[in-house]
Amino acid sequence: MNHAATPNQPADAAAASPVFHVRGLTKVYGEGTAEVRALAGVDLDLHAGEFIVLLGPSGSGKTTLLNQLGGLDIPTSGEIRYRDTDLTHANEEQLTRYRRDTVGFIFQFYNLIPSLTARENVGLITEIAQDPLSPEVALEMVGLTPRMDHFPAQLSGGEQQRVAIARAIAKRPAVLLCDEPTGALDVRTGIVVLEAIERVNRELGALTVVITHNAVMADMADRVIHFSDGRVLQETRNAVRAAPATLRW
Amino acid sequence: MLPHLDRKLLRDLRRLKGQAAAVSVVMACGLAMLIMARSLIHSLESTRAEYYQTNHFAEVFDALKRAPNYLGDTIRNIPGVATVQTDLSVPVTLDLPGITEPASGLVRSLPDFGEPELNRLFLRSGRWLPPGSRGEMLVSEAFAKANHLSPGNTLTALLNGRRQTFRISGLVLSPEYIFESRPGAALPDNRTFGIFWLPYKEVATAWDLYGAFNHVALTLAPGANEQPVIAELDRLLRPYGGFGAFGRKDHPSHIRVTDEIRVLTILSIGFPAVFLSVAAFMTNAVLTRLLSLQREQIAILKAFGFTNRQIVVHYLKFAFVMVAAGVLLGLLGGILLGHQLVVMYELFFRFPDLYFRLDPVAVAIALTVGLAAVTLGVLGSVRKAAQLPPAEAMRPEPPANFRPALIERIGITRLLSHSFRIAVRNLERRPMQAFFTVAGLALATGLLILPNTFKAGIREVLEFQWDVVQRQDVNLGLVEPSSARIANELAQLPGVTSMEPVRSAAVRIHFQGRSRQIGLRSLLPGGQHSRAVDAAGREIVPPEHGVIVSAKLAQVLGAKVGDTLIMESLEGRRRVAHVPLVATAEDFTGIAAYMDLHAINHFLGEGDVITGASIGLDMSRRAEFLAALKEIPRVSTVAIKETMRQSFRETTAKSMDLIQSIYLTFAIIVAFGVIYNNARISLAERARELATLRVIGMTRREVGAILVVELVILALLAVPLGLLLGTGLTAAIVSTVNTETIRLPLVFTTYTYSFAVVTVGIASTLSAFFVLRKLNQLDLIAALKAPE
Repeated sequence: MNHAATPNQPADAAAASPVFHVRGLTKVYGEGTAEVRALAGVDLDLHAGEFIVLLGPSGSGKTTLLNQLGGLDIPTSGEIRYRDTDLTHANEEQLTRYRRDTVGFIFQFYNLIPSLTARENVGLITEIAQDPLSPEVALEMVGLTPRMDHFPAQLSGGEQQRVAIARAIAKRPAVLLCDEPTGALDVRTGIVVLEAIERVNRELGALTVVITHNAVMADMADRVIHFSDGRVLQETRNAVRAAPATLRW
Repeated sequence: MLPHLDRKLLRDLRRLKGQAAAVSVVMACGLAMLIMARSLIHSLESTRAEYYQTNHFAEVFDALKRAPNYLGDTIRNIPGVATVQTDLSVPVTLDLPGITEPASGLVRSLPDFGEPELNRLFLRSGRWLPPGSRGEMLVSEAFAKANHLSPGNTLTALLNGRRQTFRISGLVLSPEYIFESRPGAALPDNRTFGIFWLPYKEVATAWDLYGAFNHVALTLAPGANEQPVIAELDRLLRPYGGFGAFGRKDHPSHIRVTDEIRVLTILSIGFPAVFLSVAAFMTNAVLTRLLSLQREQIAILKAFGFTNRQIVVHYLKFAFVMVAAGVLLGLLGGILLGHQLVVMYELFFRFPDLYFRLDPVAVAIALTVGLAAVTLGVLGSVRKAAQLPPAEAMRPEPPANFRPALIERIGITRLLSHSFRIAVRNLERRPMQAFFTVAGLALATGLLILPNTFKAGIREVLEFQWDVVQRQDVNLGLVEPSSARIANELAQLPGVTSMEPVRSAAVRIHFQGRSRQIGLRSLLPGGQHSRAVDAAGREIVPPEHGVIVSAKLAQVLGAKVGDTLIMESLEGRRRVAHVPLVATAEDFTGIAAYMDLHAINHFLGEGDVITGASIGLDMSRRAEFLAALKEIPRVSTVAIKETMRQSFRETTAKSMDLIQSIYLTFAIIVAFGVIYNNARISLAERARELATLRVIGMTRREVGAILVVELVILALLAVPLGLLLGTGLTAAIVSTVNTETIRLPLVFTTYTYSFAVVTVGIASTLSAFFVLRKLNQLDLIAALKAPE
C-alpha cells in the first residue's frame, strides 16, 4: 500500500487545522469530599488521519477523555471543538447528530445487538448513516464475509469485536474511538482485531484514537499520549508505525 | 434486628418498587373482585336470612279468588304445615296530590288486631296502624320515597272503584317485597307502583270480601317436605279459585335476590382467576429478571454457606411481599366497591338494614389463592437459580441465543426493518412473557365489553318492549273482567287516538309433566298495539286456534312448535283445554302465552269479556285524558309507557354507570400494569443494548421505537383476542342471568368494541410513555463498561 496515496498523511496533518481542538479540559464528578477530578486540564490537538494511542493506568482519565471526544459527556470546564463544532456547549440533540454522522465507537465488550446477525448489526447503522459502506463491504474489510449471517452468540469474541469494527466503520466515520478494543481478547485474536483497526485507519483515513493500558500497542501509533492523574504526562511520536502482526504481549 | 438478608430484601424491593406495585395492583383487582363478590353474597344471604327469620317470612304461597276464613283451619291441618296466615291482596289505583298520572299497586290486609303470624312488616318510620283504625294506611318505603311521601301525608286511593282518602301512618318494609315491582316487570318502578297495607276490615268491606281471604302463606313444620304440602294446598284451594301454590324458590322477590347472588358467585370465581393468572406471571417476570441480575450474589451467598432452601425462601419473600400488598389493596378495594354496590342494591332491594359485611372467609381465600398463584408462578425459576453451582453462577450468564423469527423464516425478511426484527426476535425468545402480556391486555380489553353489552342489551329490551311489542301509549287494567262495552267508553276519552281491548287471564300450562303458572294475554288480529314477534322480528299473526308462548317458556317446558300443550284456566270456570303450540315469541321480561282475543274468550267460556285496554294517546292531551280517567271507577291500573321508560332509564343508568366505572377502572389498571411491567423489564434487560444504540448515534425516538414496536405487536395480538374473550365471557355471564324473569339479548355494537379498543389503546400508550421517559436516564457511558 502506497502511503502517499492516503488522503491525510500524518506528516502534513500537523500543519493543517486540527480535527479536535482541546484546551483546559476538566471533568469533575461528585461534590465535596466525594469529588473526583477525572480530567484536570487537558490540552490536545488531534489531526485527521492520525493513529493515536492513549496510554495510561486505569483511573488515569483516558476513558473520560474518550467520552468527551465521542460526545457522550460534556466537560465541567475548558473547551473541546470538533472542527467547527463546539462540543462543550452542544445539546443532547446536537451530540446525537454528531455521534451519528462523525464517530465510530469500538467497545471493549463489543456491545453488539444480540438479536441481530452480524450483517444486520452493521445494517442497523448503515440504515441511518448518510453515505455508508454496504454492510457486506464493511464486513469484508474485517474479514468476516463467511460469518455474516451468524448471530453474536454464534461468534467468538474476536469475531464479535470485528463485527463491532465493521459496524463502526460502515458509516465512514471521520473519527474512530476504540476503548480497550483487545482488552477481552487473547493475543492472537487481539492482533487480528488491531490489524482490522489499522487497516481502516489507513484505507478510510479516519482519525483513530485507541485507549489501552497495554504499552506494547504504542508502537503501532503515529503519536502516543501518556496519561496520568487526568493530565497529559507526555507525548511521543513514532517515526515508523509498527505492523500489528509484529506486536507481542 | 432485621436479619441482613431481609435488609437486602427491603432494599432490592425499593429498587423494584414500580414493578412490584404493578404486580400488586393487578393482583389487587382480582382479589378486590373476589372479596367484594364473596362479601356481598355473605351480606345478602345473611341479611336476607335474618330478615326472613325475624319477620317470619313464609315458605309456601298461594293466591286465590276467594275462600271463607274457616278454610284457614283446614290448611293448618295439612300434614307438614306449621303456621298459616290468610289475608287479602287487591289492586288499587292512587291519585297522588300534584301528580296527574295515577299510580297503581297492591293493597294487602293486616289483621285488625295484633301482628300477622307470617310476613311481618318492618316499621321504618311513623307508627303502626292503631287497633280498629280507619282511614289510615301503611305504605311501602320504596314507593313513599320515590313520591316524597312521609307519615302524616294523605293519599287518595280508588278501592274497588270507590275514592277514599287515607292518612299515611307509617312507612314499612316487607320480606315479601324485598324486590318490589309490578308483577313480571324486569326492574322496579317505585314511582308508579307501590304496596299498601290496610286493616282487614277496611279492605274486606271495600271489596265485599268480609269473612274471606284471597291470599295464603304458610310455613312448614321442621323436616316437612314442600312438595306434598303444595299439592295438598292446590287440591284444597282448587274450588276456591286457587292460582297454584309455589314455594320460596319461585317467589318473585326471593328469586331476584337469588339471581343476584348467582351473578356474584360467577364474578367471584371467573374474574379473580384471570386476574391472578396474569399477576402470577408478572411476578414471575419480575423475579426472573431479579434472579438473573443477582446470579453472582446468589453464588456468593452459596459460597459462604447459605443453603439452597434459605435462598429459595429469600426470593420467595419478594413474591410474598407483593402478595401481601396485593391482598391489602384488594381488601381495601373490595370493601370500597362492596360499600358502593350495597348502595346500588338499595335501588333494587329493600332490606331493613342491608350493609356491607366483610366475609372473613373471603379474605382467607384471597390470601391463600394469591400466595398459591405467585408461588406457582415463581417457584420453578427460584429453585433453578438456587440450585446453580456457585462456580457456574459466578460467571456471567451466556449471551442470549437468538435465531430468525418465525415470520422471517417463512421468507419475508427483506420486508422487515431492523427495529422490527429486533422486536420480533425478542418476543419470540420470551414467548411466555409475550403470552401473558397478551393475556393481560386481552383481559383488559375483554372486561370492557361486558358493561356496554349490558347497556346495549337493556336498551334493546326497552326498545323492543315498548316500540316493537307494545306500541300503545297507555295500558289500562280493569277492576274485574267486564263486558266489552266498556271499551267503547274508554275509546271516547279525550286524547285517545286508538283503543284495543285486552283480555288476560291466569293459566297453568302443562307439557309432559312440566308446568308453569303464567299470564295468558290476548292479541287482536290486525291489532296495532300489542304484538307477538318471532326471533327474526316478524310479527306472529295469532291464529284462531292455538297458542303462542315465550321462547323461554317453550324451552322450560321442553315443548316445540307443533306439540300440544294442556292449558288450565285458574279463574272463573277453570276450564282445561288441549291447544297446539303454533309459534314461539321473542320477549325479554317474564314468560307468557298469547292467544287470539276471541280464542281466549272461547276457552274461558265467559262470553265477550275484557280485562283492560291499550290506548294510543295524543300526548298533548295527556292531562285531560288522565283527569277523565279518574272518573271511570272500574279502571284499576294505569301504566303510562313514557313514565315507565323514564323510570327504567334512571334506575339502569345509575347501576350501569357504577358497574361500568368499576370495570373501566380494572381494565385501565390491568392494561397499564401489564404494559408497564413488560416495558420496564425490557428496558432493564436491554439497557446496555439500548444505550449502545444511543452511543452509536441513534436518537431517543429511534431507540424508543424498538420497544414501542414490540408493544404494538403485542397489542395487535391482544386486542382482537380480547374482543373475542370479552364476547365469550359476556355471552356466558348474560346466559346465566337469563332467567324466566328477565332475559337480556346479546347486543354487540361497534361502539362497544371501539370503546374497548380505544380505552386499552390509551391506557397502554400512556403506560408505555411513562416507561419510555426512562430512556432519557439511560447511562450511555455505562454501556461502554463491562456487562453487569
